[in-house]
Amino acid sequence: MLQVEDLHAGYGASEVLTGTTLAVKQGALVALIGANGAGKTTTMRAISGGLKPSRGRVLLDGKEVQGLDASRIARLGLAHAPEGRKVFGPLSVEDNLLLGAYAHLPRFFGFRARARADLDRVYDLFPRLRDRTKQAAGTLSGGEQQMLAIGRALMARPKVMLLDEPSMGLAPVIVQEVFRTIRRLKEEGITLLLVEQFAKSALEVADYAYVMERGRIAVEGTPAELSRDERVIAAYLG
Amino acid sequence: MNPSIIGQMAVSGALMGLVYALIAYGFQLTYATSKSINFGQGELVMVSAFFSLTLMNLGLPYWAMIPGGLLFGALMGLAVERAGVRLALEQKSEGWILLTIILGLFFFSAAENLWGRDDRPFPTPISADPIHVLGVDVTRLELSVAVGVLAIMGAIELFKRRTLLGKAFEAVSADRDAAELMGISATRTVMLSYALSGAVAALAGILVSPITTVGPTMASALILKAFSVAVVAGLDSGFGVVLIGMFLGALESLASFYLGSGWREAPGLLLLILALAVRPTGVFGKAAIRKV
Ligand SMILES: Nc1ncnc2c1ncn2[C@@H]1O[C@H](COP(=O)(O)OP(=O)(O)O)[C@@H](O)[C@H]1O
Ligand SMILES: [Mg+2]
Repeated sequence: MLQVEDLHAGYGASEVLTGTTLAVKQGALVALIGANGAGKTTTMRAISGGLKPSRGRVLLDGKEVQGLDASRIARLGLAHAPEGRKVFGPLSVEDNLLLGAYAHLPRFFGFRARARADLDRVYDLFPRLRDRTKQAAGTLSGGEQQMLAIGRALMARPKVMLLDEPSMGLAPVIVQEVFRTIRRLKEEGITLLLVEQFAKSALEVADYAYVMERGRIAVEGTPAELSRDERVIAAYLG
Repeated sequence: MNPSIIGQMAVSGALMGLVYALIAYGFQLTYATSKSINFGQGELVMVSAFFSLTLMNLGLPYWAMIPGGLLFGALMGLAVERAGVRLALEQKSEGWILLTIILGLFFFSAAENLWGRDDRPFPTPISADPIHVLGVDVTRLELSVAVGVLAIMGAIELFKRRTLLGKAFEAVSADRDAAELMGISATRTVMLSYALSGAVAALAGILVSPITTVGPTMASALILKAFSVAVVAGLDSGFGVVLIGMFLGALESLASFYLGSGWREAPGLLLLILALAVRPTGVFGKAAIRKV
């Protein structure tokens, strides 16, 4: 569903990604782990179009999308819940969710009715959001904002969802909740690429995993394989 | 001092101040989506007024001219975005400042060549006879300024809150990159904001012209006042520009009545200096983006 081949990207003159290759099959949950600064966020941004790759290919459902505008790639079926959540702070919770479905809703009137079923699905998944539909997203707690960011991505009914460090900066209880949610998404058959600093928890939920080091994939395999890899244990699971 | 004269001057001035508010609102629209403004906005007001006058000279009735004038303003706004703003923003440079000033100068000389340097009357079917409202005399013409300003601002604010496209506009204002991830084209949204800003400038021209006449320099004083209002009210509060615009208009009217017409420009300048000294984000500007 998502294929990344020999991706090169960076900021100005400094190249961060030096040939990243990975793939996410339909319905799979793939984890991308690695130390801080390894280039995980950069990989996600280069996939979703926030950053233009200087070389390599990104295939979404078989179609080349590298170099397209982020909004184009999103409309083609990629939802990216970015690092730091990036909810629209001044807008209400429900408006944030509606905007998640922007690509397939009418622009002027009747959009709320059309989105009703998807809204209910997100509210069922995150009942706490249902109690706060009119509240400004910026006033939510960090955990609630993360739920909103994931819900907003779900609203797009994406072919592939990218989740960048959904547990960043959250209290341990909330982190557990985030992982429960990720499991739910997997059960629903959503195709997911997950970046996580909690490598152990990520490997517990993933079908396949990549370990990134200095802008490249250093090791890859099933969670079972990686959990036996001495280097991975020493660097990320110790 | 006669209190009824004070009231009279204050009300007339406040109604005119709504024109400053409207032009300042045009700055807010583009600043919200792109953190840029058109420094040639005054010239846009002026060419739109000339264009609207031409439409009427060609035989179009006043009310039919208005949509035409607004459309022209919107197209000019789009032209400014395309020619003066987009490339600069893509390169993350401040080049749009110089470019929009230059475009303004271009509009100015184009207007002088096309329509001449003279001030011309701008006909209107709205009566300039005074009517008595709440103890003061105002003209229907002055009231039409208020109605026009509040109607277009109200319509745009409703659009932003009630339609999905409007919410997308707000999303781009809040976080451009995140909005792109939702499938919202930031480029298109910036274009939309420049089109709306241009239409708003055109309406300002259409509303004041019957009072001030039309000429190449008609907007040079207006635009300075609009800047003052935008700086004092902040670049994100539509409500703020209305209040400050009316306040400034009233103050100017009183200053020129009691101190002499040479003092008309003083309150605007004073307010601007005060605002810059006391609150650089504007009296009504929100504090930094809320973050949890
Ligand atoms: N906006 C940026 N400008 C310049 N360098 C950046 C920027 N964002 C990240 N980097 C650099 O790119 C490298 C990879 O960062 P990132 O992709 O955020 O890593 P990770 O998500 O794995 O922690 C780091 O060396 C970081 O300093
Ligand atoms: Mg990161």
